[in-house]
Amino acid sequence: MGKLYKFLKYSFITIWTVFVVAPFLWALTTSFKDFNSVNGGATYIPWVDFEPKLEGWKVLIKSPANGGVDIIEPYFNSLFVTCTASLISIVLGTLSAYALSRFTFKAGFVKNNDITFFFISQRIMPPIVLSIPFFLFLGAIDLLDSLIGLIVVYIVLLMPIAVWIMVDFFNKVPREIDETALIDGCNPYQAFFKVVLPNSIPGLIVAGMFCIIFGWIDFFFAFILTFTEVQLLPVKIVALNSSITPWWSLSASALVSVAPLIVVAFIVERYLSKGNLSGAIK
Amino acid sequence: MNLVADKLSYKPDEQFHLNEVSFNFKKGNLYTILGRTLSGKTTLLKTIAGLLTPDSGSIQFEDKDFLKIPVWERNVAMVYQQFINYPHLNVFENVAFPLKQRKVENQEIKDVVLKSLKSVGLEGYENRKIQELSGGQQQRVSLARSLVKNAKILLLDEPLVNLDYKLREQLREEFKSIFSQGLSEESIVIFSTTDPKEAMELNGEVIAIDEGKVLQVGPAKEIFENPKTLKVAEISNDPPMNILKANISSNKIKFEGIEIELPGHLSNLKDNNFNLGIRASDIELSEEGFEFEVELAEISGSETLLHLIRGDTKIITSIEEVMNFNIKDKIKINFNINKVYAFNESGTLASSPFGGSYV
Amino acid sequence: MSKIDLNNISHSYNPNDPNPIYALNPFSMTWENGKRYAILGPSGCGKTTMLNIVSGLVRPSAGNILFDDKDVTDLKTESRNIAQVFQFPVIYNTMTVYENLAFPLKCRDFLKDKIDERVKSVADILNLQSFLNSPARKLTADQKQLISLGRGLVREDVAAVLMDEPLTVIDPDLKFRLRRKLKEINEEFKTTLVYVTHDQNEAMTFADNIIVMSEGEVVQAGTPKELFERPNTTFVGYFIGSPAMNLFETEASSNDSVKINNTIIKTNTNLSNLKDKKIKLGIRSEFIKIAKNQSENLLNVDVEKVEDLGNYKLLTAKMGSLTIKSKINRETEIPSSDVKLYIPAEKCCVYEEEKLI
Repeated sequence: MGKLYKFLKYSFITIWTVFVVAPFLWALTTSFKDFNSVNGGATYIPWVDFEPKLEGWKVLIKSPANGGVDIIEPYFNSLFVTCTASLISIVLGTLSAYALSRFTFKAGFVKNNDITFFFISQRIMPPIVLSIPFFLFLGAIDLLDSLIGLIVVYIVLLMPIAVWIMVDFFNKVPREIDETALIDGCNPYQAFFKVVLPNSIPGLIVAGMFCIIFGWIDFFFAFILTFTEVQLLPVKIVALNSSITPWWSLSASALVSVAPLIVVAFIVERYLSKGNLSGAIK
Repeated sequence: MNLVADKLSYKPDEQFHLNEVSFNFKKGNLYTILGRTLSGKTTLLKTIAGLLTPDSGSIQFEDKDFLKIPVWERNVAMVYQQFINYPHLNVFENVAFPLKQRKVENQEIKDVVLKSLKSVGLEGYENRKIQELSGGQQQRVSLARSLVKNAKILLLDEPLVNLDYKLREQLREEFKSIFSQGLSEESIVIFSTTDPKEAMELNGEVIAIDEGKVLQVGPAKEIFENPKTLKVAEISNDPPMNILKANISSNKIKFEGIEIELPGHLSNLKDNNFNLGIRASDIELSEEGFEFEVELAEISGSETLLHLIRGDTKIITSIEEVMNFNIKDKIKINFNINKVYAFNESGTLASSPFGGSYV
Repeated sequence: MSKIDLNNISHSYNPNDPNPIYALNPFSMTWENGKRYAILGPSGCGKTTMLNIVSGLVRPSAGNILFDDKDVTDLKTESRNIAQVFQFPVIYNTMTVYENLAFPLKCRDFLKDKIDERVKSVADILNLQSFLNSPARKLTADQKQLISLGRGLVREDVAAVLMDEPLTVIDPDLKFRLRRKLKEINEEFKTTLVYVTHDQNEAMTFADNIIVMSEGEVVQAGTPKELFERPNTTFVGYFIGSPAMNLFETEASSNDSVKINNTIIKTNTNLSNLKDKKIKLGIRSEFIKIAKNQSENLLNVDVEKVEDLGNYKLLTAKMGSLTIKSKINRETEIPSSDVKLYIPAEKCCVYEEEKLI
C-alpha cells in the first residue's frame, strides 16, 4: 500500500514537472539554433545534437533596418509602466487599506466592508467591459497611445489588488500594537510608518508581486490603448509571431519576456522560505 | 495635582461602557479596578490613556484638561492583557522604543533599558526575537517597556490573566516587589483585575466596578469585609459569595428547610426576607451539618471548591486542601454563622460581621 | 470501552543509536476501563506524543500498546475505535446538530432507526435535544465542543475518548458547565476519558488519575490528593498546588529526623541510609500551622509579612536564610514576637536528588 502510493505520487510529480518544464527547454534550445538545426529534426542537446548559435538573440537587439526586431524599446516601456504603476498602486493601496482597516467609515448603508468590496469588484468585471470607457476616457484627456495613459489605467487595475491584500494583512496586526505605539509617544503617522508598516512587509511583498505580475502580463489593455507611438512587450511579441520572424528569435524573445517574472518568483520564494510571512505576527 | 475624573460616560451602543464614573487618584498610590469581564475596566483605562474619548465628562491631571491632550503627549504607559510588543523589533529595541521616540541619547537608552530588563528578570535576553519568548517573558518585555518611560500614569490591564497559574503566581510576586521599590512618589499606578485575590494581594485602593458604574471605593480590606451591595460581594470574592434567599423571624434563619439560631451581629434586624451572604471559606464539612449533594468538585491551586445543591439552593464551599469527591455524593456541611452577611431584598448591605451597614 | 495497557512504551527519533534521545522515556502504565485520566505537563514535555501514541498517529519506537489485551501497536487510528476532541471544535458547519451527531454512524452504514436511537440518547446527555434541528454553526463554543465530543460518543464501540486541551477556546464561565458535563458523561457512559492539558487546575478538577510529565518522562501518576500530599519529585511539588511546596535543604540527623538551622524536625521517613547526604525536606504551606501546645517539630521564625488574601492569610516567615510560607486561617492571631511554626511529621516529604524517599 505504502510503496504503491509513493510510486504513484512520485510518478505524478515527475510527469507534471516534465509537462511544465519541457516547453521552457524547448524554447531555450530553439533560441540557440539556426535554420539548419531547426529543420534537422528533434534535437535537444547543444554541441552534441546541434551547434548552438547566438543568431536568435542578436536579432532581438538589432534595429529593423539591420534585419533585427528591436524589442529593447518595448521591453523598457513595459518595465517602466509596470514598475511605476505597481509602485504607485502599492503606496496608495496600502494607505487606503490602513484607513479601511483602522477607521470606521459610514455613508448610509455603506460601511468599511462594502468599500473594500467596491475596490475588488472592479476586478470582477470582464476587461472587455472596461475597455470602452477606458478608451474614451484616455481619449478625452489626450493620453491614448502614451506611457502615462497606460500607467493611469494600470493603477486603476492594480490598486484594488493591493488594497484587498493589505486590508487583510492590517486586520491581522492587532490594533493594540498601534495603540501601544501611540502610548509610547508616536503620532498616528509615526505609528503607521514605524510600527504597523514594518510588520506588514510580507503583505507588501505579496501585493507587490501580484501587481508586477498582473501589470507585466497584460496584453489586452496594452493592445487596445496604444497604436504607433508606444508599444509594450506583450504586444510586440504577438506582433512578432504574426510576422516573418524566425522561430529562434521568437523563442529568445519569449524567454526574455518571462525572465523578470522568474526573478520575482525567486525573490518571493526566498522570502517565503525564511518563514517571515507566517511568523511575523502571532 | 491629582488625576481627577468627573462623570465620565461612554455609550457606543445600547449599553453603558462607562456610566458617570468619577474618581480622584493621588500620586504615589496604587489603585485596583476590580470587576468582571466586560464591566468597563478596559474602557476606563483606555479613556485615561487617551485611546478613547468619552461621550461626556472630564479628566483633569496636573491641573490640565487631559482630554485635550493627544495620547502621544500624555506620558502614560500601558500593559495589555494580550502580550503586546512590536514583533519586528528584538527585546532591546522593544524596550528602547519609547525612549528613542523621545530622542534620548543612545548611551542613556542603553543604561536604562538594561536596568529595566534586569528588574523584570530578562537580563541576557536583549537580542532575542519576541516570537522566541514564552508568554510570561513577552509580558515582562511589555512591562519593562512601560517602566522605562517613567510615566506619571502606569496602566496595567489585567496583565496576568493570560498566564497559567504558576507563572501568574510568580509574576504577581515580581509586580509587588517592583511596585514597592520602583514606584516614585510622582506616579499613579492603576491595575485592573477580575481576581479578588489579586486585588487583596496588591493591597491598594480598590474601585469596584460593574456595567460601567463605580459601585464602591475603598481599601481592599474594607471592600472585602463590608461590601456595600450584593453585587460588590459577588465580584470581590472568588468563588463568588454564596447568596441564600432566607427568612429571618423569631430569632431564626430559615431556608431550604434549614433553621439556624440568629447570630449576635444580626440580632437587630427586623423580621423579613433577606439575602444572606456567606463565603465559600466560611462553610465547613461537618458530621453534624446539613445534607447537600455534590454537583462538582473543582480543584484550584491547593483548594478544593465544592459546588453543592440542596433544593433550589446552590452553594460553593472551599476547602484548603486537595480532596476527592464524586458527582452526586451526599455530604454534610455547617455554616460559620458568625460570618454571615445580611443584604436586604434590594441588595444593600444590612449587617456585616465586621460591623458595616449601608441601610 | 476498553482497558488500555501501555507496555514499556518509549519513543525516540534515533531508536537504533546506542544512546537514543527519547522524546518519551520508557514507561509502562495501565488505564482502567471507564476512568478519567489527565496527562499534565508544561509544553514540550511529551504529553502530545503520548496521546498520539495512544491514538495511533505515532508508532512508538519500542513497546506495545494493548486495548483490552489486544495488541494495537501497528493499527492505524481509524482501526482503533478512538474518538478524539481537539482544541478547536470540529463541526460540519453546513449540517444540523442531528446530522453532525449522526455522521459517524451514517459513514458506517448503520440502520436509520439505530442511528436515531443513538443520536437521541447522546443528545440527551449533552443537553442538545432542543438544538437537534438547528444548524450546528449557530451554537455557542461550548456546545460546539460538545458536538465534537458527541460524535465520539454515538459509537458504542469507542475504546476511549482522547481530548487535547479541549477547553482552551471555551469562555471561563462556560468551562464549569463543560467540566461537569465531562464528568457526568464519564459516569453515565463509563467511557474511558483521556485529557491532555498544561493547566494544573483543569487536570486536578477533571481526572481520577493524573500523569505528570516533564521533559519526556512520566514523573508521577496518581490521584490529585496523592500528587498534592506526596509529590514524587520536587518538580511535582512546585508544579502542583499554589503556593508551591516549601522545600528546605537539610541533612539527616538521626534515623527519622532532619536538622534545619540546628532545629531537629522529626519525619515519618526512614533516613538511616542517608546520613551525610544532601537531602531536601518538603512540606505544603497548608500543613504548617502556628504552634499552640505542640512541644516538638517547631521552627522559631521571624515573621516577614502577612498578606490578607480574603479567604486565608499567607504568612511569609524567615529562619536565617530560609523562607517559609504558611497558609493560615484568617481568624488566627499571629503573636507579635517569638513565633513558632509547627511542622507535622506525617506531612513531611524527604527528597534525595529531587526524588521522594
